[in-house]
This record gives sequence, C-alpha cells and structure tokens, in this order.
Amino acid sequence: MSKIMTVDILSSIKGAVPSESVNKLFDVIKNANQNNNANNNVNNNNVVSLNDLREDVVIESSKIEKEIIVENFPKEKNGFLVVAKVIED
Amino acid sequence: MSQIKKIHTQLINKEISCTALVQEKLNLLKQNTHNTVNSLLDSMALELASKVDAKITNGEEIGLLEGIPFGIKDVYMVQGTYTTASSDLLKNYKSSYTATAIQKLLDAGAIPLVKENCDSFGHGSSSENTIFGAVKNAINPDLVGGGSSGGSAVNVAKDFTAFSIGGDTGGSIRQPAGYNKVYGLKPTYGRISRYGLMAYASSTDCVGPIAKSIEDIRIVLNIMSGKDVRDQTTFSSEEILEDTVSNSSTIKTVGYFKNFIESEAISPQIKQDFLATIDKIKAKGIKVKELDFFNSDVLVSTYYTLAMAETASNLSRLDGTNYGARIEGENLKDTYSITRSEKFSEESKRRIIGGNQVLSQGFSDEIYLKAQNLRDQISARFSDDFNEVDIIVSPVTPANPPKIGESLNDPLAMYLSDAYTVGFSLGELPTLTIPKGTETGLQITADKKKDAQVLQFANFLNDIL
Repeated sequence: MSKIMTVDILSSIKGAVPSESVNKLFDVIKNANQNNNANNNVNNNNVVSLNDLREDVVIESSKIEKEIIVENFPKEKNGFLVVAKVIED
Repeated sequence: MSQIKKIHTQLINKEISCTALVQEKLNLLKQNTHNTVNSLLDSMALELASKVDAKITNGEEIGLLEGIPFGIKDVYMVQGTYTTASSDLLKNYKSSYTATAIQKLLDAGAIPLVKENCDSFGHGSSSENTIFGAVKNAINPDLVGGGSSGGSAVNVAKDFTAFSIGGDTGGSIRQPAGYNKVYGLKPTYGRISRYGLMAYASSTDCVGPIAKSIEDIRIVLNIMSGKDVRDQTTFSSEEILEDTVSNSSTIKTVGYFKNFIESEAISPQIKQDFLATIDKIKAKGIKVKELDFFNSDVLVSTYYTLAMAETASNLSRLDGTNYGARIEGENLKDTYSITRSEKFSEESKRRIIGGNQVLSQGFSDEIYLKAQNLRDQISARFSDDFNEVDIIVSPVTPANPPKIGESLNDPLAMYLSDAYTVGFSLGELPTLTIPKGTETGLQITADKKKDAQVLQFANFLNDIL
C-alpha cells in the first residue's frame, strides 16, 4: 500500500515534472497564516439536502445521443469498439 | 442600448429578415479576422432563422430572444456540434447532448451562430493557449483578446454576435470583457446550471453572458437562471425586472480593497482612473469605505491550488479510451500516458501536474487543505465586508492587455494578472465587468445571490461615468 507514485504516474503524463512557477504559488500557501478558527462551514452552502435529491431513476438516452457516443469512440473494428490491451500489475 | 431589443424591433417591423441578419453575421464570422471562430453553426442557424421568418410572415408573435444571433464558448455541449475546448485532444469531439443554459436560450428562440475560441479547457488568461490561433483583441489586434472566454468577448465587441455565453472560473468572462470594452457577468455560483459545461474547476465554474449593455445581460441572465436537477449546486432565483435595475436607491455604501490599489503591480493609469471613479461615486452622496483584504499573492495562490486540484481530477477522464484522440501504446496505461502527453497543451499539463502534486499523499495537508482553509477565511471576510457595504468595486486587471506572444513564456506573470478576479470566484459572488472607469473596466460585486444589486449599481455608474 505504501507504493510511492510520482506525479508523472499520477497524472498519466510522460516525463511530468513539477513546474517552478506553480511551486512558487504553493510556497505562498505553505507560508500563509492558517486560521484554526476558520468557519469550516462557509463553503458548505452547496451541500444538497437529503429532501432535495433527484429521483433515482434511469433516464434512457435518445437514439441520436447513443449514435453520437458511438461516433466519438476513437477505434472501431468489425462493428466492435476497441479498447487498449488491459494489463494487471 | 440593448442589442436584443433593437434587433427584436427590426424583426417585428420587418426592417430586416432574420435570415438576412443571420447570414450577415455568418459572413462576418466566416472571415475569422480575430481568430474567434472554432466552428460555424451555419446550417443550424439558417434553418432556425427561416422558421422565425415564417412566423413573422404569418403574423405570429415572436418572443424577445427569438431570432437573436448569439455565440457560445467552445466548452458548452450543443448536440451534434463539435465541442473542442480549443484542445487537440477533443479536436473531433461531438456533443451528444445540449447544456442546460444553452437549451434554455434555444427554447427561447435565440439562434446559435458559432462555437467560440478560448484557452484550452479554460486554462489561460489570454486565449493564446488554443489550437485555433491566438484570439486578437477587438480594439487593437496586436494585443491579446483576454481569456479564457476571449473569442466570446471579441465577437460581442465586434458585433459578430448580439451576445455570447462565456464561462468564468477565475475571471474568464470578466477579464476578456474588460480587455475588449464590453459587459461580462459572472453570476452567483449556482444561479445558472453547469450541466453541459466542460468542467475546469467545479467549485468555481460559472456560466455567464457577455453583451454590449446591462439590459442584455439582464435578459440573458434571466433566461438561463434556475434550478436544474442535473446540477445539484443550482438554486432557484427570482427574475430580475427592468424596473429593479433602474432603481439604485438601495445602495448606500460602497467599499474597495485598499491593498488592490496600493499594490506595486497596478499600472499608474489604472490606479489614477480607479481613484477618480471613487471620487465620482462619493460626489453622488454614496459613502465609500476602504477595506482590508488578503494580499493578491495569497488570493492567486489559493485559487490556483484549488483550481489545479479540481482540473487534475476533472480532466483525468480524458485518456483516449471512450472519446477524444487516442494514440495507441503497448498497453492501456501506456496508451493513457502517450495520449495525454501528446494531446494536452503545456499549460494544461502544468495545471494537471500541479493539481496531482497538491492532492498527493504528504502534500495535501500542507497545501491543498491549507488552501481550502484560506478559502474559508476569504469567504468569511466577504461575509463580514457585506455587513458593512452594499457593493465592492474593483479594477478588473492591474494592467492593460499584453501583446500577443508576451504572456505564454511567463506562466507566473499570467497567474498573477488574475489578482483582482479570483477572490470573487472563491467567494462565489456575483461580479460584473463594465467597460468604464479604467482602461480595462471596473468590477462590481455584491453579496451572494444579490445579482440584481450588481446590475443596479452598474446602471447607476453608467449614468455618472
């Protein structure tokens, strides 16, 4: 479980390395004053009430929607949509 | 002057046919003089225009937005159209459904003309980070159009569209509106559904109109607002009436952030013009308060830390498996990383990597969670400030738009140029850019859900500036 993952693996971007410019922004955060009394509820106004959840129903996609989804698939062979070879490691 | 009302009157008086109007705008857009066009929706637009003409010919009544041509930032889904986010990865991606905000405009009869150029996935403040060529400023084409909704602001400024729909995460409507001298509104977070807007940073992403008048902003805002079960952060809101906007008597006290104006980064001209505007407000008997606020570097760093974390998460689905470009590798993981390495722009990669840095074990407490804490402090400060003042005014940017090509090499400078816009995004507040007061305009902000008050004060400033 303690396997260390580098940012290139986490980001699925080959040769990814942290940017100096972005690190400068993060340094500002590290050095900023943390307010332990900050009201942690301030940004929780967007929490949806249990009484306000949408119906848990399956909405069938329209024919055109399905057609476009298939059209967007990057690779097709003999009528099948092809994905890359899956490996387990 | 409301472009929407002007065109509406011309249509019902049969001074112009809708088809001729739409064709005229399409002809202008086709030349793509300012690199604002990612794709033209010409056949759809002309078909809709002919239906409006048929209604008028038959003597049927048409709604205010029926036949009004508009533009859409290329991050909104419109079924059957290309939605590229100005990215190489989604260059050939077609929307399978339509965004709620856009559907509401279509239902009201507005006619979409164009998917508009922007920074790829909203990642930028200049509309140069795009595969469709840097957007040119409407006033001086050597300068950037601003971003990320640069194409939308330029199209409105050049009258290629009557209004456009932009997206604002940290200033992406307000800054290009200021750079091109038009109006641009970031409503209260949640007032307009984000369903069908390609996500950048979900906790601050907002849909908003860019237009040439406050009245047009009001009309389009009213149409797009409302609760949507497909975006559970939305809330229901009341229609803002024209009479409400013309009454500014409820605004007694205005504040501004002293440190924004005393910052070394602000250009002397913008500072001088802003302070002159403050004097004009005072002269009208409105009380003006100087407010203390967080330093710009803290605001920018808090915003970018959270926005990068959210975009790293949101864009992790773009791996070439189900849609978008795919470059095959030896296996699934290899395919993911080759596709993403080659198809994301340098700026998008920088933000994704930054986001994964702050979310990773060992860094999240020190950076991400601390940025969340800072955001809470910023929101709390806004709440306190709005107990003291009705409106906060601010410049839109510290400086004038840069020349095309100048910003891309210095990402930190570009991030810092968002100093005056990102705080209001973190606060989820309604903020409007008006093209007055300084060279790049003024921002007017009110407390959450008080979008009407923003328009009221804008109307008042329009009269005195």
